Amino acid sequence: MTGLGLVTPLGVGVDATWNGLVRGERAIAPITLFDASGQRVSLGAQVGELPAVTAKSAGATRTVVSRTSVMAVVAAEEAIRMAKLDMRARRVGLVVATTTGGMLETERLLAAMHADAGLRRLHAEMRCHPITATADLLEEKLGPFVRARTIASACSSGANALLVAAAWLRAGEVDAVLAGGADSLCRLTLTGFNALGAIDPGPCRPFDRDRKGTTLGEGAGFVVLEGPERARARKATPVAVLAGWAAGSEAHHITNPEPGGSLAAGLMARALDRAGLSAADLDYVNAHGTGTLHNDAMEASALARALGPEVARVAVSSSKGQIGHTLGAAGAIEAAITALVVARATLVPTAGLETPDPALRLVHVPRVGRRVPRVRAALSNAFGFGGMDTVLAFSEVREDGPPRALPSTARAGVADPPRLDIPVITGAATFGPEGLFGVAACATALDAGGPRGTPVDADAYLDPDRARRFDRAARVATVAAAHALAEAGVEAGDCGIALGTAFGAVEASAAFLHRAFEKGPRLAAPAAFPNLVPSAPVGHASIYLGAHGPSLATADLGASGESAFFHALDLVRAGESDRFVAGAIDLASDIVDRALGPLFCEGAVRRRDEAGVVVVESERAARARGARILARVARSFEWRGGDVDAARAVGAPGGDGAEVILVRATPAAAAFVARTAWAHAPRHTCAPRLGEVDVAGEAHGAKTLAVAAARVGAGHARESLFVAHWPDRGYAVVLVAV
Amino acid sequence: MDGEELRLAIKRLLVKELNLKGRDPEAIDDDSPLFGAGGAAGGGLGLDSLDALQLAMSLEETFGVRIPDGEEARSIFRSVRAIADHVSQSRAPRA
Repeated sequence: MTGLGLVTPLGVGVDATWNGLVRGERAIAPITLFDASGQRVSLGAQVGELPAVTAKSAGATRTVVSRTSVMAVVAAEEAIRMAKLDMRARRVGLVVATTTGGMLETERLLAAMHADAGLRRLHAEMRCHPITATADLLEEKLGPFVRARTIASACSSGANALLVAAAWLRAGEVDAVLAGGADSLCRLTLTGFNALGAIDPGPCRPFDRDRKGTTLGEGAGFVVLEGPERARARKATPVAVLAGWAAGSEAHHITNPEPGGSLAAGLMARALDRAGLSAADLDYVNAHGTGTLHNDAMEASALARALGPEVARVAVSSSKGQIGHTLGAAGAIEAAITALVVARATLVPTAGLETPDPALRLVHVPRVGRRVPRVRAALSNAFGFGGMDTVLAFSEVREDGPPRALPSTARAGVADPPRLDIPVITGAATFGPEGLFGVAACATALDAGGPRGTPVDADAYLDPDRARRFDRAARVATVAAAHALAEAGVEAGDCGIALGTAFGAVEASAAFLHRAFEKGPRLAAPAAFPNLVPSAPVGHASIYLGAHGPSLATADLGASGESAFFHALDLVRAGESDRFVAGAIDLASDIVDRALGPLFCEGAVRRRDEAGVVVVESERAARARGARILARVARSFEWRGGDVDAARAVGAPGGDGAEVILVRATPAAAAFVARTAWAHAPRHTCAPRLGEVDVAGEAHGAKTLAVAAARVGAGHARESLFVAHWPDRGYAVVLVAV
Repeated sequence: MDGEELRLAIKRLLVKELNLKGRDPEAIDDDSPLFGAGGAAGGGLGLDSLDALQLAMSLEETFGVRIPDGEEARSIFRSVRAIADHVSQSRAPRA
């Protein structure tokens, strides 16, 4: 980690935040950002004055910049400045984590749109609504980036941004990564956490006997990560070493943590192991420590399991009593704080902790920071709704040779590049109003008439008791994922789930907000709130299927499903998970069709509830279980801005039987193919609705990918170039029969 | 609304608000435990803390009755009959 930047309620900038943390300051006060009257608790940790950040206008319309994006730009600029990173001299990737995105700016509009169909037209405010808006603004302000990904896994989102960055670096796909998270306070989250009774009436007090919940905060944290050799070669000054990481899903409950904390404990042990460390090397843990009864009890129990007797020595603190729970940013902000604790050999406190809960046997850091001789290594925990947990391990920078980091290289010898796994596709499924299709049906999607399905409601495939909290998104996601796994002939087990969703739970958020505005926040629906985070469908699916792998949602507008697939490729290649279900969901939504879609994606589209997914697996794991391999993912390319380099890198097909599958048959996509050695291969565009010709929604790319893989698996093609081409971004893969 | 009518109204609310698909409100027992382990298998409903929050909100919306936090709520939520008793006591005109 060679740079970091922070915007927190304690101040703008790393030093303002750090000084406030060490002094034990608490930035918790009544929220003034919006009218919070009528809320059960109206306290929050709000960021102070921010500089103005403007964006290029889109045609004639002014582009509204969300508060989330402003905080992200400020923190990201600081991180790049500290790292002295020249974006044009190196291949730099970008990972942005967020959950609320532009919700603060669009929520009144959404609530109004829910009540009045006449309002459902284009609005400039909607420009900042998609959670990809932050990544796109960072690209505009700080780019170029060779790749950019937006991820969401509720309150572990920010930590997952760093994990994705580590996977990219480990695979040698980029030279450096700007990774972080940002979330602003908004009415939606304040109302929702209040409805869940999860907010302390006073400033939150993690690990205290009298703790009554968390305090919501806002902010942004970004870091620059690069491989140790390259950092040393350009004489960068490292702050600390991201030495280990682990992510997984509890598959337990949509809001409540698994009481024993066994998954979280396993992740802490794995992160340490990856770093080549043991509990004896650990001097500090920056806990998730939300201050809710259940989180803190679970986390203490997980720490006891993971650290064994060392739990009586290792200092543990939570920063949430000072900066609040910054949700999608928390994992990144707290990772940066943890790195600073290591670099500056100073423990930061748990402010608000007055009477430690005797049931939680932890070594606390009360009230103010404390200088210590050394912090050799530290953990940062982040746990999210749906049981999506991530643990990061940091160690101090050692001048005497390579850090103990980068475990794959540590084992293989630093000079050798790590051995990467090869991803293959072993299952595919699409689900929508035409019915549920598996591999065989997908393979006939380009034939005259296409596959014939029977329209069946998702209920026919789901256990009504276990699926009773599912909204429409969770239903299509779970049915498609379950079928793809069945087609792949494998149990969910350690499978991760990555699903693209271009706009998140728009209709449900609008309904939730409208109800809260109309009836008052006290009557907001607690059971509806957990379904509003972008990763909720993934969380529900992981719980229903018992999938314990690393799971999250991705977003990249029209190419959201493709970004989820690429996320799975990255994590399988880097050995983070042997198996992923990856794809996208679309939901019928008048607001998306009429207001959001035309701004960002296609023109006149009637979206429907549907999903397309594939099972991505390491070839090693697939062969070990004797799986049917549909196609090997031989090469993959993603680009932002120009597609010239990608077209050059695609290479030539190996021989006869090559075909090109386009997600969208646009002139730009055709021009892209014409510049490759695939120009003369037969070219197909999948009828968007598998049998019904229509304009496609954002899940179409994932459905097309299922078709491309199934065709290679069925022998219709030996090799397939899959291209998802959008004006300013794109994804392409070469699928090869095995 | 007499006791039986009120209990049936609460059962209908349970099925609707907690999305207990396929469950006949009239078949829910007045005295079966609503929450806790072994619920569904043990003849109860097997509800959890998130259901309790949703139920408290919808009781407040429908009957204008606030459910207190903590132990008191636990006791009110032990069965349909206990909820109905709490609702009718809270709504009774004060003497």
